[in-house]
Amino acid sequence: MMPDFHQEGQAETTQWQPEQKAPVILLENVSKTYGKIHALSGVTLALSGGVTGILGLNGAGKSTLFKILMGKIKPSAGQVRLFGTNPWKNPAPYARVGFVPEGEKMHDWMTAHDFISTFARLNGLTRDAAKTEADRVLDFVGLLDVAHKQIGRFSKGMRQRTKIAHALVCDPELIILDEPLQGCDPLARTTIMNVIRELGRMGRTVIVSSHILTEIERITEQIVILHHGRLLALGNLHAIREKMDNIPHRIDIGCQSPKELAKSVIDIASVHGISFQDPEKLTVQTRNLGDFHSHLPKIIIDGGHKVDSIDNPDDDLASILGYLTGGGGM
Amino acid sequence: MADKTNTIFRALDRKASAITEFTMRQYRTKISTWVVLITGLVIISLLMMFYIDAMQRDFESVDNDGDSIDSDGDSYPDGQERLYGTNPFSELSNPGFFQPPIPPDDPSVWVDEDDFDWNESPTGTRSVSVGYDDDGDCRTEDRTSSQKDTNDNGIECDIELSLSLTGEFMYDADNLVDEDPDDEAYAKEALHRASILGIGKLGFVFIISIFIPLFMATGLIRDEMNSGTMHYMLTKPIARTEVFFYRVIGYLGIVWPYLIILTLISAVVTGFAGPGDSLFRFAEFGIWLAILFAAMMATLVYGMLFCFLGVMWRYGIVLAIPFAAWELGMALLSMGVPDAPILRFSVIGWALIIVDSASLIVWPDMALLIYSGLSVEGTDALGFESEELIGSEPLQYFYANPGLGNISPFLSMIIATVVLLIQAIALLFVGGAIFKGKEIE
Amino acid sequence: MNEQIDSPEQNPPEDLSFSEHAPVTGQGRMDAAWGSKDGDEFTTAQITNNTASVGYVFEQIYKPWNGPLNPRWMRNWAILRHHVLGIFRKGHRPWSLPTKLFIVIVFIASLGDVGLTLLSALIGSPALHTMWGVNRDNLYGHVLGFFPRNMLYYPILAALLVGGIISEDRYHGTSALYFSRPISRFDYVMMKYISVAIIQAFVVLLTLMIYYFVEILAMGRGWAWIIDTFPLFLAAFGGGIILIITYTSIGLGLSSVSKGKFFPGIGLVAIVLGTKTLAVLVSNLFERDVMYLLSPYDCLAHVGQALVGTQPTYDQYSWTWSLASLVLMNAFFLYILSSRVASMEVTRE
Repeated sequence: MMPDFHQEGQAETTQWQPEQKAPVILLENVSKTYGKIHALSGVTLALSGGVTGILGLNGAGKSTLFKILMGKIKPSAGQVRLFGTNPWKNPAPYARVGFVPEGEKMHDWMTAHDFISTFARLNGLTRDAAKTEADRVLDFVGLLDVAHKQIGRFSKGMRQRTKIAHALVCDPELIILDEPLQGCDPLARTTIMNVIRELGRMGRTVIVSSHILTEIERITEQIVILHHGRLLALGNLHAIREKMDNIPHRIDIGCQSPKELAKSVIDIASVHGISFQDPEKLTVQTRNLGDFHSHLPKIIIDGGHKVDSIDNPDDDLASILGYLTGGGGM
Repeated sequence: MADKTNTIFRALDRKASAITEFTMRQYRTKISTWVVLITGLVIISLLMMFYIDAMQRDFESVDNDGDSIDSDGDSYPDGQERLYGTNPFSELSNPGFFQPPIPPDDPSVWVDEDDFDWNESPTGTRSVSVGYDDDGDCRTEDRTSSQKDTNDNGIECDIELSLSLTGEFMYDADNLVDEDPDDEAYAKEALHRASILGIGKLGFVFIISIFIPLFMATGLIRDEMNSGTMHYMLTKPIARTEVFFYRVIGYLGIVWPYLIILTLISAVVTGFAGPGDSLFRFAEFGIWLAILFAAMMATLVYGMLFCFLGVMWRYGIVLAIPFAAWELGMALLSMGVPDAPILRFSVIGWALIIVDSASLIVWPDMALLIYSGLSVEGTDALGFESEELIGSEPLQYFYANPGLGNISPFLSMIIATVVLLIQAIALLFVGGAIFKGKEIE
Repeated sequence: MNEQIDSPEQNPPEDLSFSEHAPVTGQGRMDAAWGSKDGDEFTTAQITNNTASVGYVFEQIYKPWNGPLNPRWMRNWAILRHHVLGIFRKGHRPWSLPTKLFIVIVFIASLGDVGLTLLSALIGSPALHTMWGVNRDNLYGHVLGFFPRNMLYYPILAALLVGGIISEDRYHGTSALYFSRPISRFDYVMMKYISVAIIQAFVVLLTLMIYYFVEILAMGRGWAWIIDTFPLFLAAFGGGIILIITYTSIGLGLSSVSKGKFFPGIGLVAIVLGTKTLAVLVSNLFERDVMYLLSPYDCLAHVGQALVGTQPTYDQYSWTWSLASLVLMNAFFLYILSSRVASMEVTRE
């Protein structure tokens, strides 16, 4: 299981053989410090397959994590393995990795097609093969019709998609996207999210970072939460939420007579708090969501209340992040 | 033949051509590249214009031995009187009293009456006999053999040249041999050579070869590291040393053809406009090739160095600029003291050895030419004072012996080339290693 | 394994297979991600205990500001102060460490003649004093001598100072911070210009003053000497001012047209040293001095020679030509600077 931690080699894809049994990504106790600032401290993580969202506020260490994974920076402590190989010492695994860096800087003077085909040649493709490959990936992200325009004239969404296309060259098994949705308009977001979902469906390992929470929810339910350089949580979104048993769930019930409803609801054992924030809305706090939901329909029907909506506003990433970081989910 | 080495080589080759091509296209889109290259072209054209102007100029002929003067006022110049054996200081003694009377010459005939016809250099301690008495005032029949051979070397009307143990020229001429060389011919030849050396050494090997790398190579990798676009290249399966090397190759792909074009222009201009009977001075292509080669080697080493400094430190320019000033000092020093040991600690000192060695090969009579121009200065046997010939001083300033001591010019050229190549390779490895250890934000 | 890393206080979960310092250990195999299944049937997760203590809502009360807006010169003074004080202290414009280091080195190196004057006074050596003490040639040489001052010190100092002074603001987008205040672009550039000039004056003119006063003190000079030499000192001082203005104009002009940090610095050094080399080459080869008119250094030297009254080394034309050329150079680069600043778009490039 443990990969060879001392594997070194040249950047020659034909000589390099990936460690088949190793996870795609393996970080063991990885830390990165800049002077007194801890960008990452003691992160341990292993991932293979599927779409994973890396969540965190600004400065949580998401980009640092990616740069360490891509061998751009050297971890201060700990072991990093990409397909079982140390990426700082050996660039060979990049043949199977696509990386979308953050930031807007690109080679504005090139056309999208030039940009992708030129860099595809660094994967060892011939000139013609690189051109064909550029057509293929640009078609995948839907930019084939503007492939021969300069990147400098592209909108932000198009630039992001160009970067994603660049990362998809040679069909990598692992795709890392650093804030791919940042600064894009809703249409571009939807397009990019569709692209990412499609990649996940095709069985690639995709890692997406974001602090835009709702979009990550729409892409994946497998998340890793980073905060102040530490790994806070990892796993399925709902499972994480349910594990936080001691934290009350909040349920908003929109109805015409919240006070009437409250009288009935208070009898449920798992309910421990009720508040009225709106003339037509009742907010219930519970420690056991399942129990509450099993009682609620009966109460509504028995009491003959007119209920417009039942909302579970806490069950999203914002509140989880809030709870985990001690903010109370407000 | 699809064996393993072949495919590896071809894969590397693809990467190399991709990055090289990318770098060249990137330069092409930067305005600063064009500004810098055009400025270089303007500088060289300016120098060429000054050169053409100098070649078209009429140089005033100077009477270096004073024999065009009519000392006694009988309208016969002293030289003509001396030729016919009459007394130049007596009005009553002149060729006009001969039967038939000889008409007086125009004084201008006695200016530049001797050509410059030294064609051999002494080597070692062997002395050589050079010179031809063009105007015949030494060979005239009424002079005795001892009068014709005042330097006592057994050859009448010649100049005996030898080298002293310290390498200085020793010059011993028979009276009235080559006493008044052709100033214009000398000045043009000397200025022509001095121009090629000066423009080649200071213009090409210093100004062009140091400022173009400063502008173009310092940011070759650092700019992309700062802007973050280096990520695109480094997420590919390619070693960073390779990136460093191919980027420098791409830079050379712009700079070397540019140098070739500039040198070709200069060679054609000096070839056609230079003095001489032939239409084109083919012989001097050798020196231009050496200048081109030296400039190419210098741009290679400087390019590697400045790129490395840029990679090493965000403020690499702080090291690069004082280094450029240091190289200017070394360039000026090498003109005067070509064998100073401190020059071995510079790049330009080695590059100039290539030019100096080539000038020794192309113009073996160079030291002699300088000497003959300078030796005119002084007071001659008849008490006439004269200045050194025009062109000899610049030639002396810009010409220098290859600074590696008494070895053959070919050998010193090879040594200098090898040293420069070693510098370049060392910088490549150091730069690659530093780049490998850099964290890229 | 790594002492410098804060070990988290949390108690790790029991099913741990990695290092005990890690707050959360994760080994997940997420073969089917979003899309093929809805995720609910695969519900494993690991979380930390809730110990982090950040994120609280604080009450914000907006207090309106109603102080007086200070006049224009006050804002300009703030910009100037911000730039000049950055050399000495933290909290102002961050000049790079090498630039600061170079200023210190050049300042000390420029005091070389002061040290030798002191030494000659101490050991009473008239020969040493003739070489290094205050006289016409040495006052000229302190400001305008080519080697090493105008080859290794002053142009490079100016190059390092102007290197990023405008272009870096544009690159980082900090110029927008200035222009979101009631500050005109010309005030902004003027203050940058003056602050660069002041830092150069600190090196060039301050050392000249020290040199002159050390001579008075060390050699015990009386009024007669001072009256004799003070005009020379003033002339050298004037030459220094012209030098600073010229280098700053060229440097800032270049800085305003370029995006990078390298170009203006290299450009200034290339202009000063390149034209000088070119002029020497032409003068030596073809006996033409006209190229000196293109060289900022030589024009400065020629004007300085006329001001101080030393032996002129440029004898083919009058010094007024050099002065005119200097005025033209300054006008050209100031024109570039002002036109670029007037049309400058305040964006992050």
